[in-house]
Amino acid sequence: MHVELIVIKSSLPATGDDRGMPAHDPVANIPLFDAALISRYDVSGPRYSSYPTTSQFNDAFDADAFRASALVSNEDPIPRELSIYVHVPSCLGPCYYRGCNRIIVRERRLAERYVDHLVRDIDQMSALFDHDRRVMQVHFGGVTPNFLDGAQLRRLMDVLHRHFDLSREPGREFGIALDARTATPQDIAMLAALGFNRLSIGIQDFDTDAQLAINRVQGIAETRALLDAAEHHGFRSTSVDLFYGVPLQTVERFTRTLELIVAMRPRRIVVRAYARFPPRFPAQRQSARHDLPDAATRLALLGLAVECLCAAGYLYIGMDHFALPDDDLAIAQREGSLQRNLQGYSTHAQTDLIGIGVSSISHVGTCFSQNRRDLAGYESAIDAAQLPIWRGLAMSDDDRIRADVIQQLMCRNEIDLRATSTKHGIVFEDYFVDSLRRLDPLVADGLVARSRSRITALPRGRLLLRTIAMCFDAYLGQPNANASPPFRTP
Amino acid sequence: MIEQELRNAIAQRAHPMSVIHPGLDLETLRQSCADCALHDMCLPAAIDGEDLARLDRVVKRRRPLERGDVLFREGTELPSLFVVRSGTLKTSTTLPEGDVQILGFHLPGEIIGLDGLSGERHMASAEALESATVCEVPFVRLSEVAASVPGLQLQLYRVMSREFVREQLHPVMMGRKQAMARLALFLHGFAERRRSTGLDDTDLTLSMSRQELANYLGLVIETVSRLFSRLQAQGVLSVDRKRVRILDPAALDALAKGEDDGVHLH
Repeated sequence: MHVELIVIKSSLPATGDDRGMPAHDPVANIPLFDAALISRYDVSGPRYSSYPTTSQFNDAFDADAFRASALVSNEDPIPRELSIYVHVPSCLGPCYYRGCNRIIVRERRLAERYVDHLVRDIDQMSALFDHDRRVMQVHFGGVTPNFLDGAQLRRLMDVLHRHFDLSREPGREFGIALDARTATPQDIAMLAALGFNRLSIGIQDFDTDAQLAINRVQGIAETRALLDAAEHHGFRSTSVDLFYGVPLQTVERFTRTLELIVAMRPRRIVVRAYARFPPRFPAQRQSARHDLPDAATRLALLGLAVECLCAAGYLYIGMDHFALPDDDLAIAQREGSLQRNLQGYSTHAQTDLIGIGVSSISHVGTCFSQNRRDLAGYESAIDAAQLPIWRGLAMSDDDRIRADVIQQLMCRNEIDLRATSTKHGIVFEDYFVDSLRRLDPLVADGLVARSRSRITALPRGRLLLRTIAMCFDAYLGQPNANASPPFRTP
Repeated sequence: MIEQELRNAIAQRAHPMSVIHPGLDLETLRQSCADCALHDMCLPAAIDGEDLARLDRVVKRRRPLERGDVLFREGTELPSLFVVRSGTLKTSTTLPEGDVQILGFHLPGEIIGLDGLSGERHMASAEALESATVCEVPFVRLSEVAASVPGLQLQLYRVMSREFVREQLHPVMMGRKQAMARLALFLHGFAERRRSTGLDDTDLTLSMSRQELANYLGLVIETVSRLFSRLQAQGVLSVDRKRVRILDPAALDALAKGEDDGVHLH
């Protein structure tokens, strides 16, 4: 079936009139979906949940380097608060819908063994951080972490409570990703009792054909029941992960999915591109290539999502995130306090992030590190009472300056040239002369406005923040329009 | 009040000797006593000519220390007197029950090692908190030169007295019942010491760790952070990692004088 390219036109003024519009202006905040520009500029590139990105990590950064960075992080008069990420790599059934590290666990005892290792990982890690450092964020992530049963989750939360000072304030962000196929409203009650107050649910498409194609079936009613339970138990935020470009997905079916989700009013919606990496994940080969929507359809699907969510009152936060106007993220965006870290967008100021579990990433001070990503290697390191560090990176001064610039772009939609120059002791125009040259075509195409004091992503450029950020990435060549097919997955 | 007198004494002794130009880069100066930026507050202050050359010959300029390098330990024999030329060092002693007590933090222009003056070995340990350079004067050689250079002997007494007065601030601090007064007194003293070497006294880099500061002040680390947070919330300080800027010196001064802040120890 051939699908026409659908270009969604907004009623916003043309590019020329948008220039200089401040980022917090609600009108400027609405992204303009320009299919032609997006297909030209949206090349594959980093998501900038960190800068430098993981591809710059190297194994010269080892456990000793991590230990040193942790000890130094305790030394400030007011040490940073902590954030803990626990990676749960498994799910109960073979699920081949995403290119994410995952291991199919068929037997519960594998899960139990993994939890044992997580407990020891937490124990080892906690010894490196002063006990009075408050933990404001906890996130259990991975593909479908709710494969852990209630007892296992309780055990992990108990261990975290014993080893760290977990916040009990309402402003804490304790989140977990759930699989709507297996989670029940009773689980939500249990999670609330354990201190969780944020929930994200993965939904690919409610259309049964599309779900069958990726071996996931989940009902509308079940998802709604989970969201209702979360609301009832005072969860501060609920998020739905929506995938476009899923095999067999069509514009018609996706429209229906969007309507259903919007009607449920989750506070946040994340629109993600379906990732498919057949060589690494054999299970995905079962999704026949010819079932994947073509590039034009994928583009139309994205346009549809942007239009539909904005029309339904969701605000565009950045990258792939949308939120209701009274959600913490939207408030933080308005107040200019939005942050972006390895866990995505956040309201918390810079914390030191401790990664627990296989393949998890830590960010402590100015160092990044990643745990071993093979389960056997991870577990054997823990068994030997070693930190399971695989690789990492200590940021240079240049890395820090560029990370700050990219963070401004991702969170505030603009770069304040004078503040950046003052903060880092540079002359922005001189320091970033190459970046500014790379930015020229984006300025010419109306994605970006440049003035003497700031660089601002215009409505046309808002969906292409990544492409704009790539201009400031020292590890990339020039982002070249048409270099790769559009909508390649991050 | 005794602490007021002590602080006055410290402040007064700073002035006649503060002939150093603000902003002088200590690192780039030639390494001889005659040319040293610290000349006027160090041993050669009152001597010149051949006497200065004699002193200069017994001064050993050590290679730079890195963070964590130990200059001397309790029990190190043939003690020396050291002058900090750049960076910061801490001195500490081991208590009978095995705990380590930090005795002081030492900034450029300050003298350490006087604990070894009386005997054959050092009674304390000294360790670099960051990259640092020091000049070393073995006591044995110093006594020889001082015996024949009266000006040096007098200056040696002055320097020792100055260090003694500075060190007396620690028990004064520890005598404060209020945690905030201890910290404020410390920061106040720290700023004053920077001013006496011609450096910016409102922009401090605390190279000691929170743990070391807590140990020195006899507080727990939680309290140290809570106090810094409170001072920041009150607009007295701004704290960014290890960089502390004093925004309201008068308020800090008032707190150092012990005006009740409501937080009592135990």
